[in-house]
Amino acid sequence: MRLLGIIRMANRSLLRNKLRTFLTISAIFVGSFTLTLTNGLGDGLRAYVENQVKNIEAERVMFIRKQPPAAGSAKHNSEPPEYDPDDSDNGDGLDPNAYSYTREQIERIAKDVDGVVTITPQYPIDGEYIMIGESKKYRVELGMLSSGVTQKTEVGRTIDGDDQVVIPLAVARTFDPQIANLVGKRAVIAYKNAAGELKTVSPEIVGVATKGMIVNTNSFVDARTAEAIYKDQKVGNGPDKFYNFSLQMRAMTAEKAAAVKAAFQAKGFEAETLADQKKRTYDAIGIFKIGMNFFAMIALLAASFGIVNTLIIAVMERTKEIGLQKALGLGRGKIFLMFSLESILIGFWGAIIGILSAIVSGVIANRFLVSSYLPSFEGYDFFSFTLPSIVSVLALVSAIAFIAGVFPAFRASKLNPIESLRYE
Amino acid sequence: MLEAVNLSKTYISDGISYDALRAVDLKIDKGERAAITGRSGSGKSTLMHLLACLDEPTGGKVLLDGKDISGLSERERNVLRNEKFGFVFQQFFLNGRETVLENVALPLRIRGWRESKIRSAAKAALASVDLEDKAGKRAKDLSGGEKQRVCVARALVGEPQMIFADEPTGNLDSTTGKLLEDMLFQLNAARGITLVIVTHDPDLARRCGRVVNVKDGRIETDLGAKGEVR
Repeated sequence: MRLLGIIRMANRSLLRNKLRTFLTISAIFVGSFTLTLTNGLGDGLRAYVENQVKNIEAERVMFIRKQPPAAGSAKHNSEPPEYDPDDSDNGDGLDPNAYSYTREQIERIAKDVDGVVTITPQYPIDGEYIMIGESKKYRVELGMLSSGVTQKTEVGRTIDGDDQVVIPLAVARTFDPQIANLVGKRAVIAYKNAAGELKTVSPEIVGVATKGMIVNTNSFVDARTAEAIYKDQKVGNGPDKFYNFSLQMRAMTAEKAAAVKAAFQAKGFEAETLADQKKRTYDAIGIFKIGMNFFAMIALLAASFGIVNTLIIAVMERTKEIGLQKALGLGRGKIFLMFSLESILIGFWGAIIGILSAIVSGVIANRFLVSSYLPSFEGYDFFSFTLPSIVSVLALVSAIAFIAGVFPAFRASKLNPIESLRYE
Repeated sequence: MLEAVNLSKTYISDGISYDALRAVDLKIDKGERAAITGRSGSGKSTLMHLLACLDEPTGGKVLLDGKDISGLSERERNVLRNEKFGFVFQQFFLNGRETVLENVALPLRIRGWRESKIRSAAKAALASVDLEDKAGKRAKDLSGGEKQRVCVARALVGEPQMIFADEPTGNLDSTTGKLLEDMLFQLNAARGITLVIVTHDPDLARRCGRVVNVKDGRIETDLGAKGEVR
């Protein structure tokens, strides 16, 4: 018998018992639906994060921060750390000072590492308002862009010198719908100094940032401007200690990055490139996705027992039919193939219906959720359905169905024709 | 010519062996019609299953036109049954939800013919049992006699050289049974298809001409049409 003939017979057998086939397909449908949705959620999350971070690049920069302390019990079981005059940790891991350092402390660690150009603290700065010329004053959220870090801009360019600012798209549009007109103008940015007096700086607007999470609302100034504002705001408040530092390298290679990491790790610091940070986030999403898919897989596992059950009943019901087919010359292999195909078809149709329903629900949910609950995430899809993930769900479910069908199909194939014809 | 040489079959169940057939020799000529009779449990069905290559003998061999067919592989036996033999069973073994035509087409589907060829051959087979007008009906909607004629058409569709019929009239009343017998004999006469009919109906056996009577796994008598010993 030809393959086409076997497919045709498998299909007819499935249609002969529509209700049973439908119920078995329904179980598979639930599993595929869940799997497609959880995959879509993971992919959507990843696309969202990608969308957020793609606007920022920092090829030759490493970010330094103190590693979080070991969990309590681990600390109790280890020897007390040796005294280190540079380490301000008092030992309980709760002192915020334990995570902040002066630039000199960091420089001391980095002095032996080849290729480090500068070390910049991440200056925490607070802005009050922003205006351009005689415009209205708008509330400003101020941030600092370390040198070496670049951000994508709608118009203009990223910060590449001192006394510069890149403003977010929404702010720019408020000032002038023709945002290109703003580039080259000077913005007036006000902040409060340590005495509580309003002071202003007026950096040049070099660009308008492309939309994205981090650059969505902040106006970014260069490191020198940030330093000036910081010093004015924090004057007389003891040593200048910071939580985060960025390290500008002359050139970045894997070996250089590893050397920096090793030097800082030895002192209990974490040194990461932007790529590391992205990877860490993607890994977390990956684990989240695996966790979610685990539940979908449980549903599929349950459904696969449904397939086994359905096919075993089908084999019993069709014992005589199989006996006749064998008597008339249909080989074992073909019988096995026919039942396997029935199984795969159940899986295939369950997966198709599940995937399509998941996509429809996902698209509706995207619209509904973004418009009702997450308006600031405009342009972001909660559920994202990619072709590779859809194809892999289809292939996976069909494969599970095939495996579920192996046992019943094998039973059918080894039936003895004479005994089957006598079967009551 | 179909020939059994020293054919035996022993079943073993729960450690007890049972000789269903003991060293049987039998020759059936091409175009002949032979009835195999005997009480139930005599071994007549086993003999037919072995002759038709549905089962493997534990001893001896079956020769078809001088070629040993009992030693063939399963695959080869499948092809042989499909191409050389037709089968009619007491229970019809029709797929009630499928059309009559589809039921008749089964042996050719198994053979792997083209769809158009299958359909025309199945229609021709239905015509030779006078059922061409029922081709599109579902098999379950036919009467008993019609169903068995569909089975004959199914046995016929592959143009076999032999038809094995196991109690073909067992489920039919005597009138329709007679009609079916006539049909089988007519096919035998017109096309030279060898008939091997397993039956315990003495009338049918007599009409066949040659009667092979099986008892306790042995051939007790083997009489030709004129009562001569074969």
